[in-house]
Amino acid sequence: MTEPPLPETPLLAETPPLSETPLLEMRRVSKEYRGVAALKNIDFQLRRGEVHAIVGENGAGKSTLVKILSGVVAPSAGEILLAGDRIQIAGPALARRYGIAMVYQETSLVPTLTVAQNLYLGDEKFYNRLRGTYIEAQQFLQSLNFPVDPTATVQSLGTAKRQMVEIARAVRLNAKVIIFDEPTATLTPEEKHHLFTLIDRLREEQVSIIFISHALEEALDISDRITVLRDGAHIVTADAKTFSRETLIRHMVGRSLSDELYGRPGDNSRVRPPGEKVLSVQNLSMQNVVQNTSFSIFAGQVTGVFGLVGSGRTETARIIAGVVKRDLFHGGDVRLNGKSVRYRTPRDAVVDGVVYVTEDRKGDGFFETMSVAENVYMGHISSPKSHGAVASMSEMKALAAEWTNKLNIKTLNSDARVIELSGGNQQKVVIAKALVQAPKLIIFDEPTRGVDVGAIAEIHNMIGSLADEGLAVVVISSYLPEILSLSDRILVSRQGRIVEELSPEEATSESVMFAAVH
Amino acid sequence: MNPLKKAVDSWFGRGEASITIPPMDGAFRPNDLLDLAPSNLEAPAPDCLAVTSHGVIVSSDRSLLRVDKPDGAEIASFDMAISALTGLPDGGAAVGLIDGRIVFVGGERGGTTLARNPEVACITALAPASDGALLIANGSATNGPAAWKRDLMEKNASGSVWRIDRQGRASCLAGDLAYPYGLLEEAGSIVVSESWRCALTRIFSGADGRKEPVLENLPAYPSRLSRADDKTIWLALFAPRSQLVEFVLSEDGYRGRMIREIDADYWVAPCLRSGATPLEPTQQGGVKQLGVLKPWSPSRSYGLVARLDPAFRPIASLHSRANGRRHGVTSCLMVDKRLFFAAKGDGIVASRTYEGLVS
Repeated sequence: MTEPPLPETPLLAETPPLSETPLLEMRRVSKEYRGVAALKNIDFQLRRGEVHAIVGENGAGKSTLVKILSGVVAPSAGEILLAGDRIQIAGPALARRYGIAMVYQETSLVPTLTVAQNLYLGDEKFYNRLRGTYIEAQQFLQSLNFPVDPTATVQSLGTAKRQMVEIARAVRLNAKVIIFDEPTATLTPEEKHHLFTLIDRLREEQVSIIFISHALEEALDISDRITVLRDGAHIVTADAKTFSRETLIRHMVGRSLSDELYGRPGDNSRVRPPGEKVLSVQNLSMQNVVQNTSFSIFAGQVTGVFGLVGSGRTETARIIAGVVKRDLFHGGDVRLNGKSVRYRTPRDAVVDGVVYVTEDRKGDGFFETMSVAENVYMGHISSPKSHGAVASMSEMKALAAEWTNKLNIKTLNSDARVIELSGGNQQKVVIAKALVQAPKLIIFDEPTRGVDVGAIAEIHNMIGSLADEGLAVVVISSYLPEILSLSDRILVSRQGRIVEELSPEEATSESVMFAAVH
Repeated sequence: MNPLKKAVDSWFGRGEASITIPPMDGAFRPNDLLDLAPSNLEAPAPDCLAVTSHGVIVSSDRSLLRVDKPDGAEIASFDMAISALTGLPDGGAAVGLIDGRIVFVGGERGGTTLARNPEVACITALAPASDGALLIANGSATNGPAAWKRDLMEKNASGSVWRIDRQGRASCLAGDLAYPYGLLEEAGSIVVSESWRCALTRIFSGADGRKEPVLENLPAYPSRLSRADDKTIWLALFAPRSQLVEFVLSEDGYRGRMIREIDADYWVAPCLRSGATPLEPTQQGGVKQLGVLKPWSPSRSYGLVARLDPAFRPIASLHSRANGRRHGVTSCLMVDKRLFFAAKGDGIVASRTYEGLVS
């Protein structure tokens, strides 16, 4: 094999000294899916003991890049070197043997197994002493400061704790390279602090970390170097301290989006007045997760619900939408347009015009083996607008074309499987699937989690226009700037109940966070 | 409703049997605007406000007092306590007494008295009709105005609305009302605040006394209504709803025994001012955090005035919270962009400018 040409890096502010061989290197790596280039001649170097952030819009190629490194997909061209030696990462098991571990954005744990079993998955012996495994797992989790019960099944854990288990599993494998894909999306500030401390510790131990995050401030804070990808191409690699949030965004999207994204705080002229009271939640309770919570939702407004993970926001929304049930005895009341309702299934809620857009799009949001068109049509056939019991292909195609166009879903065609789309476009499919049901009340749970800045702006605009059309819109988010910029009214959730209501005029990051933690 | 479903719901405490109260949010978002209002007058149990040729006046026990005089210059006094008051278009006032008589003060009919109608013994509100007649809210068929707490605890809905024309002929416009406590005439109909249903109800004129809900599921017990010059409506709400009271209302045995054996002041029931005596149920507790009293039990008294748009939808509210000193508001009026309110629980008439402050 001939030696590949030297990498062409558009900007390498601090190239490693010649004496220092990068721990991991990609040279002119490309990847094509069905003839569409996902990565184009990427050069990437990861040094020993560095935290290297990769940022970019959805569809920029970040996920493809790390999938190649973790052995999930094979590159179409180019080569990978580990400590100067050329390697072929033929599968995830081989990647693990090379010391490359991945913490996925969407968790990849086995839900029916316990935390400890998941931690030691693949290391089982002929005879496994569960008690010993649990004690070992407990000690290990405590050493990481992760408050997770090793005997709990993963399906009983919230998203944040699942992510902790994922991280713990990667750390346990003694990996030389750990790839974190959106590790902080579901973590509370305190949990984030623990994670960053852990990352610092790993860095001191010369573990190299690839850190993918849409939270640009985190990338700027935690990383030593940052690489920006756009449309599958390498745009820039430089020291983190040479970037600002604005320059990063400009590199990512080719234009400044800051004002478009979070320009709302202080701009009170755009606050929408409340319309009719659509929903009244009265003394709702579900075990110790939702505790006697009460609030109202009005038409023609975006009501933002902020709270830390575990504050009961998602569970409350899921009760309203019939996904889970409130307490059997004295579980409170939910009144839709003044009428008391108690949904047994989400379909009953959909028929009444209540739609919930899940925070876990991969688990609950779409059917990953189905196409974009089929997913949108699945939404349609569960709505009251659908009359026929027989699926109509022409109707399916027409709906897919309409919603792909309306929400600007970037896909080759509507027959493409949703799983092949980028995170932002997957989210748009989930939203299309919800909007096709013609809701009167729509609840978005973390609508821009794992979505790139370009798609965030589009989703925000879409949410605003839904409220302008008179829909009652609820946005649940853990990201304060999003809540502050989108909401006409802000509710703060803590320990299972709504504890504060703020108007946009009086809401600041400090006041909202104060209400969320005190 | 299916009796079986009703029985099941009752067992599980859901549906109609769920013990819940509506949230104070949106237009009812708590604030301290009532407490920030300067006091105009301190008087024993100021109750009902009206605009007359003397300006804004208030009823207080047996007297009518001017609000604009700090010492509350007395305009008139009576041999019985006043239970309702309204200003008339001619500058006079109609005064309802607790024994059921109606006395006119000032204006064309000044000095005349309408004798007690045996069917109207609990006058809670008065309002002039556009044709010169007088509209009367009769809170209860069995209890007088002072026994409102008993009427609630007995779960009565025996109130009625009456019309007395200029010749003194009385006619009942609607019955079976759950303590009508406020009246407002509106284009061929009358809007009534029904305290025990926590709702506003429209009564259409005509023999059938047809009713329809206007605003339901209020978070507090409504009382008097008034209309401002800008056509918005002001509603006084005299006590907050609480799950504890709703629970007591659902427990017939407990409630019956409480009515029989305990003094009414110490019932588990809403009141105009709570927290004054250690004998009260569940009110003597709480902590102060950041200067705000956090009662460990929901307060039985509160101060609340709501502003409604011309279609009777809440758009804003002014509050006196658990630790406030403007509780038990039974009447409010907007005069010359100044909101007057009578906090009967704390014996204060106060006012403040109102420039569209919203919750």
